[in-house]
Amino acid sequence: MIRLQQLPPLALYVHIPWCVRKCPYCDFNSHEARGEVPQQAYVAALIQDLEQALPLIWGRKVCSVFFGGGTPSLLAPEWLDHLLSRIRALLPLAYGAEITLEANPGTVEAARFAAFRDAGINRLSLGIQSFDDHHLEALGRIHDGAEARRAVERACAAFDNVNLDLMYALPGQSVAQALSDIRIAIDHGPQHISAYHLTIEPNTTFHHRPPPVPDEDAASVMQDAIEAALDAAGYRQYEISAFARTGRQCRHNLNYWQFGDYLGIGAGAHSKLSFPDRILRQARTKHPQAYLSGVGSGRHIESERPLTRQDLGFEFMMNALRLTHGFPPRLFMERTGLPISMLERAMAEAQEKGLLLRDHQRIAPTPLGRRFLNELLQIFLDD
Amino acid sequence: MQDIRNFSIIAHIDHGKSTLADRIIELCGGLSEREMAAQVLDSMELERERGITIKAQTAALRYTARDGQIYRLNLIDTPGHVDFSYEVSRSLAACEGALLVVDASQGVEAQSVANCYTAIEQGVEVVPVLNKIDLPSADPERVIQEIEDIIGVEATNAVRCSAKTGEGVEEVLEAVVARIPPPKGDPAAPLKALIIDSWFDNYVGVVMLVRVVDGVLRPKDKIRLMATGAQYLCEQVGVFTPKSQSREALSAGEVGFVIAGIKELKNARVGDTVTLASNPASAPLPGFKEIKPQVFAGLYPVESNQYDALRDALEKLRLNDASLQFEPEVSQALGFGFRCGFLGLLHMEIVQERLEREYDMDIITTAPTVVYEVKTKAGEVLRVENPSRLPEPSRIEEIREPIITTTILLPQEYVGPVMTLCNGKRGAQKNMQYMGRQVMLTYEMPLNEVVMDFFDKLKSASRGYASLDYEFLEFRPADLVKLDILVNGERVDALSLIVHRANSVHRGRELVAKMRELIPRQMFDVAIQAAIGANIIARETVKAMRKNVLAKCYGGDITRKKKLLEKQKEGKKRMKQVGNVEIPQEAFLAILKVEDK
Repeated sequence: MIRLQQLPPLALYVHIPWCVRKCPYCDFNSHEARGEVPQQAYVAALIQDLEQALPLIWGRKVCSVFFGGGTPSLLAPEWLDHLLSRIRALLPLAYGAEITLEANPGTVEAARFAAFRDAGINRLSLGIQSFDDHHLEALGRIHDGAEARRAVERACAAFDNVNLDLMYALPGQSVAQALSDIRIAIDHGPQHISAYHLTIEPNTTFHHRPPPVPDEDAASVMQDAIEAALDAAGYRQYEISAFARTGRQCRHNLNYWQFGDYLGIGAGAHSKLSFPDRILRQARTKHPQAYLSGVGSGRHIESERPLTRQDLGFEFMMNALRLTHGFPPRLFMERTGLPISMLERAMAEAQEKGLLLRDHQRIAPTPLGRRFLNELLQIFLDD
Repeated sequence: MQDIRNFSIIAHIDHGKSTLADRIIELCGGLSEREMAAQVLDSMELERERGITIKAQTAALRYTARDGQIYRLNLIDTPGHVDFSYEVSRSLAACEGALLVVDASQGVEAQSVANCYTAIEQGVEVVPVLNKIDLPSADPERVIQEIEDIIGVEATNAVRCSAKTGEGVEEVLEAVVARIPPPKGDPAAPLKALIIDSWFDNYVGVVMLVRVVDGVLRPKDKIRLMATGAQYLCEQVGVFTPKSQSREALSAGEVGFVIAGIKELKNARVGDTVTLASNPASAPLPGFKEIKPQVFAGLYPVESNQYDALRDALEKLRLNDASLQFEPEVSQALGFGFRCGFLGLLHMEIVQERLEREYDMDIITTAPTVVYEVKTKAGEVLRVENPSRLPEPSRIEEIREPIITTTILLPQEYVGPVMTLCNGKRGAQKNMQYMGRQVMLTYEMPLNEVVMDFFDKLKSASRGYASLDYEFLEFRPADLVKLDILVNGERVDALSLIVHRANSVHRGRELVAKMRELIPRQMFDVAIQAAIGANIIARETVKAMRKNVLAKCYGGDITRKKKLLEKQKEGKKRMKQVGNVEIPQEAFLAILKVEDK
């Protein structure tokens, strides 16, 4: 039994499960849109989903909204506008709430950026991945380098809060090429850059037919170079893969990492919701068709379970230790309702191994702990 | 007694012994077809998979011969592997005859040769049988020639059969009746019964399978086991058909079981003589031997909290396997475990597999080693079963290693590679005999070299055609040294090895190179060194991993990422910690995985 003194901040996640083409590295819940995306039906389903979920978050203010996918920019701006107005009507959005849309740098999408902004989106996250034609092709992306540049220009013109997603350790990529991608991104002056090490996930095309990616040592050299270049350009790393100019950290993601609450609506969306005496995780049906047909009768919730003490301790750490500056010790009790002393033994071990720093102000991974985060986190897993 | 025939079957693995036994039992109506498991004499699951018989069993059968007479046949099963040669010799000692079953296409193999020699030495009548004559590749004439050339028994009138189709099986039984002599023995003389086999039954305790040589044994008789002198009250006697059936007595010439309230298997040793306490025989039957384990290895639970469970499992196995020895042992690297002694490599493998399969144990086994005799400067002679227990070199006067005589039978074309292999294993050739198409090589070889990986290498050097048999010869002084493995400066006791000085540097290099492949990269560099005393003779480094972190982890669905971390952690739990280095289980057997360049 846990007891929460106060409920954490709440975010809203909206999943749009379609893509023009499934990328060979992607293990997200995305489906190739064959023919027309059923926008109207899906938006209606999302609204119904949200309405049904309202009792779980009654009276709570929403601090951020994130449209993720899939490719949310496949939604026509009119539909997004409609959806956002319903969200505003149903939920109290905090003043100045961050509202992010993930977008592809394709020509069609780029032409819609201004309209997305007018619909109420105030942060755009562009899935650039690379500016190099060959690497983009290897990644199965449908845009090329020139399109990517044009899209970034248009995004930066339309929004004052832009994130560029980049990947490194791409098939056949050299350190110089990885660095060149980062430089081009920096030159466009976005507020936020995410740089991900390409990982081969199970159940992806790359997993079945592994591409010739740089080895661990080369990838590590790339990572060091990328981090240094970003830092020199004023992008401060605040999470394993996230870099931002001052004050431009992604509030929505930060909420995840600080173990805040989130309601996820849409196919396959996950939620974490706190109540005074329990914390729940929920997942919605993954397949768009099943989701669409299930929402009406409440069959769109695929699983729901309360988190145990052990889950809470580990899952909090799994998120919070991704942050460069970790977390203040009191946050643990605030978010889990449990005393941080329950992790004493594990923390002592992590500290002894040089992976964890702690004082009265904060608990944070050391630089070694950040590089070996998996080793650090495993210490907090139950035996 | 004239109607009794006691016989066993000598055959190489896969030459169809069990199938033939099944047919014989079926033909004599020992079991109805429905009761017939695929191969009734091989009762253990493991045996069935490996196609070998580990514990000898028996069947008392009634056969109506063509002459119209009813014969009482006792088929005594024999184990079919080099590690169990003593059991084989005891089974044969209980017989007047043996069927030598040879695959009509594959020909004679070393194992059968050795067992046949044992049979001939004991005066057992050998009746050759060519099995699998239904196969298109069968070449009976050639195999008959081989039997005569290699074993030296007359084989022109060998019975030809196919146990699989049943063809010729009746002729086999006719040959048993006609060519194997009935037992001799005196029912009126003091009781002498040979223990052919013994095993533990949960309900009645130890069951002994005996061949009564002289005298009569009845329930309520007070018996004495002559090797130990222990006395018991005979509770029950009977025969296996192969189902057990009680009898009122077992008398001279007969084979059957005895139950006498014996609690521990070690009190009813194979080869011992059973006599009556009231009227004992003047001398036991010849041939009893105390069998000593030849091969030793450390067995450790993968997870240290499984130590008690492992001990319980080993104790249960020992209930039915008197040749299994074990005692507690502590390794710095592997924690608490057991030093186990085995008859040979197959025996070790069987024990390992039974622990894993029947007792669901997760175990780490160290590389097998042999027993060394160490003469210290102080004049004592120590038996060293674990390389890490070898005394300091300054205290050692002499180390003696066990030498075996090994007989290898192989087709001519592989003689070259096999001789190269034997020489590389410090073998000394004693004999080479051409026998038709086959060659018999005799070598004296250190057992130490054989337990490592000799079988596998022999198989690959001869494309699987060579067969081998060996027996212990003597302990012989040799220039041996202890090779230690250090991981980040710490000596890993479970990896210590005793090797010949001439091979030590080479072995050390191979071993650390293999270890480097087997130890995963960690957060820091890992140095692997091989040392003799204080001398480092080889070194390899496992370079530090650069990072271990999940690039992308949004709060959304964390379950899969969590599973990944759990899997990584699970993998680590199966590793052993030496200092702060995690060593996977395979690394403890690295020496067996070294490839010859």
